[in-house]
Amino acid sequence: MANKTALIVDDSSLARMMARKIFTTRFPDWSLLEAKDGDEALAMAPPVLDVALIDFNMPGMNGLELSEKLLTRFPNLAVFLVTANIQERMHQRAESMGIGFIKKPIDEPKIADILDKIK
Amino acid sequence: MFFLTEMEEDALKEFFNMGLGMAAASLSQMVNNEVLLSLPQLKVVPYDEATRMLVANDEEQLVAIRQNFSGELTGTSLLIFPGAESLELVRTLLNEQMPLEVLMELEQETLQDVGNVVLNAFLESFTQMMSIQFEFEAAEFLKGSGAFLLDITSHLAAQRLAMQEEANEENERAFVLMMDFKTHDEEDAQHTLSGFVVLLFSQPSMEILKRELKTILGAF
Repeated sequence: MANKTALIVDDSSLARMMARKIFTTRFPDWSLLEAKDGDEALAMAPPVLDVALIDFNMPGMNGLELSEKLLTRFPNLAVFLVTANIQERMHQRAESMGIGFIKKPIDEPKIADILDKIK
Repeated sequence: MFFLTEMEEDALKEFFNMGLGMAAASLSQMVNNEVLLSLPQLKVVPYDEATRMLVANDEEQLVAIRQNFSGELTGTSLLIFPGAESLELVRTLLNEQMPLEVLMELEQETLQDVGNVVLNAFLESFTQMMSIQFEFEAAEFLKGSGAFLLDITSHLAAQRLAMQEEANEENERAFVLMMDFKTHDEEDAQHTLSGFVVLLFSQPSMEILKRELKTILGAF
């Protein structure tokens, strides 16, 4: 199977480092792209993208706004908001767009749960 | 002079972000409304500057729920609302129809409960990646100016500190993490609630925190 590509968007370098470590040790066949905000993510998104893990509270556009833009470009993209802040209204909005949630902090089981379904 | 590397600062802000994310989710449930958060601010500043970060006007009356914590990590967390908004919050939480005098009677008790839930969610999430142990004390209800709320002598952290090291200029510094929040109410802008959460650490706790951050970052 061809390699798959994931994109993590988070303004925290710690959050990106945690994702990077999980991907390199546990999912080496995935390539992981990192962006620190929505603008950077949109600029770097490759032609084919399988999963996006997006922080909610970021400078510039928030995670939902970015998700919306990414889904327009990649209708089949699996998008997950990664946040400790899961509120009812946000949940409803995200669900109506087919976006999933991962509760911060991310860890291996949470990522495995998602990626195993995509493989 | 205490300082954090860029990475340590980033990690600390991320923990704060997670902590307040959890807190916002529980506040959101209580007020049945969306709670929007700002990005975290972090500063190591003298106390009077910390006060100025909180309020443009030193005289502005604020209402706060303060929760001290002690143990390996000693400090103070504050959930602060502009004075005028605290009754609005109580109204939202209890019953729109309640007469003002009843609301005022219930203000302290209600806000203490809210503060307890919010600050506990916050601190537990803030420290979940750390190996430190600490205990919460009972939440206290306070009313006063920003300067009063942050008054070093009124805080447990500061009291302990003063006993340990006297007349050290560094003691005058506060390690301030701050984020503000507001409810999002399209239908009724009048009922918008805003406030902020502040975390203050004692000087020894700042060092412990730095050590924890180093350990956590060392794993990557």
